Amino acid sequence: MRYRTWRRVVWTYHLGFAVAVTWPVQDLVNTPDPFVLGLPFQMAWPAGWVLGSLAVLWRLDAARTRHEGARAAGGDE
Amino acid sequence: MMDKSSLVTVVIFTYLSVTLAVGLVAGRRASRSVQGYVAGDRDFGLLVMYFITGATVFSAFAFLGGPGWAYSRGAAAFYILTYGVLGMAPWYAMGPRVAALGRRFGFVTQAQLLVGRFPSRGLSALMAILTLAAFVPYVTIQMRGAGIVIEAVTDGRIPLAAGAAVAYSIVLVYVLGSGVSAVGWTNTFQGVFMLVIAWALGIYLPYRLYGGVGPMFEQILEARPELLSPPGLTGSGEPWSWGGYSTAILASAIGVTMWPHLFMKAYTARSDAIIRRTVILFPTFQLFLIPVFLIGFAGVLFPESPDQADFILPFLILRSDLPALVVGLFCAGALSASMSTGDALLHGAASVVVEDGVQPFRELSDSGQRLLIRILVVAVGGVAYLFALVEGFSLVDLLLASYGIICQYMPAMVAALYWRRATTAGVVSGLLAGSIVSVFFFLVPELKPLGMHEGILGLIVHLPVLLIVSLRGKPQDDEHVDGYLNV
Repeated sequence: MRYRTWRRVVWTYHLGFAVAVTWPVQDLVNTPDPFVLGLPFQMAWPAGWVLGSLAVLWRLDAARTRHEGARAAGGDE
Repeated sequence: MMDKSSLVTVVIFTYLSVTLAVGLVAGRRASRSVQGYVAGDRDFGLLVMYFITGATVFSAFAFLGGPGWAYSRGAAAFYILTYGVLGMAPWYAMGPRVAALGRRFGFVTQAQLLVGRFPSRGLSALMAILTLAAFVPYVTIQMRGAGIVIEAVTDGRIPLAAGAAVAYSIVLVYVLGSGVSAVGWTNTFQGVFMLVIAWALGIYLPYRLYGGVGPMFEQILEARPELLSPPGLTGSGEPWSWGGYSTAILASAIGVTMWPHLFMKAYTARSDAIIRRTVILFPTFQLFLIPVFLIGFAGVLFPESPDQADFILPFLILRSDLPALVVGLFCAGALSASMSTGDALLHGAASVVVEDGVQPFRELSDSGQRLLIRILVVAVGGVAYLFALVEGFSLVDLLLASYGIICQYMPAMVAALYWRRATTAGVVSGLLAGSIVSVFFFLVPELKPLGMHEGILGLIVHLPVLLIVSLRGKPQDDEHVDGYLNV
């Protein structure tokens, strides 16, 4: 994906993150099952979003590096 | 042979000595200018930036208040897990922009950037006052944290007041001597230390007491199911409101992005790429809150309980039959969390007061600024210390009060960096209106609608005031605005 697309993905992801961990969505997943690595689901849910943030930010930075490399070489991604 | 308590005390004091040495040695690398003292000559690499940013999350609040909340308020603590990443993600775009403006105009504080875009000495003074008002409770948290640990591990032989005084005397020595370079390198040393400690203890205690993390939560679910169900409980044991839980996340996320010391540290980075990588790696720091919560949950079904919830971490490890050396190292980890945040805040508060509260009104020489910053480091530390001796409040509650003020900076900073049509009058009016509303609801919490966080209530008033006053005023000169928007 292009850098600009990844930027949109990251913004959308974090807006979704904010919605997912606040009322009413957090209330919809308010159950201990299934346990994830020993953690009840209510706790694994926000932890999973934090982990996902690492992944999308990482991909954004990779796309940015490619984008800047292409610009420096005089082309466009 | 030394008894266990004495050996723990020796380990802690050895650790404090090493921290002091790291802080003092770090200062030798920086120049003797204000830029060197406040902005580290804009030469911090990824490792130091990672830990200096992580220290904003991993403070005494997280290391002691986090387990305290998990232990006493259960799922209410989950809000702490989420807001840091939500707050730091926008910094991927904002951080490099802030750093570029710092290089272009020579800024070393957050208010200098804001006042550069919206010229007003009153605004500069207002930012200095608000920042100080937000930093003092935050430093107080760190000092209380240090005092709690030392009092607990020495069986009360060194009381909270003396413990906090010892730990923060060391912080004062290296911050006074070496400025932000000491903050950066001690944060790195302490960061490695506390991350290892957090994971080791967070996994060990549930295994030791319950046979594993899963079995621990199964037993809690059986005995206290209300503790695992968000939004958890209030400090008095009543169910917390969803309004309070959700807006605590939002206010804290906004606050994280707006902490003045985060801006000041952006000015210290060697390059924009380092700031971006720091943001990418930030969730790894946030995940270290999981073992911290496990420590707190491990205390829920423990047969004894500490006097205050914030004492649960030292309380458990002192009763877990661990060797004295290991207990000492764990306590040193908690001290790391306290001191690594406290040093940055003391340095930040003093720098802000001088650069934003004094310098615009009375120009000081470079050496005069450095001297006054040092005097204020001691003064702010003294005030926070007095507050730290007052009992009857939780560490997390204190932090939430700070966030109410700090999140009022968000509309002003976003306007400074991205909104061409914003005016000085709009920014000042919005900041005043938002801060007044936030302080009002902090003082009269029973009037908060839906139990919402006072910072969010402040923003609900702040945003329309900023928009309306700006749009009704004369636009700023295009050339001036271009200097800030075209970065």
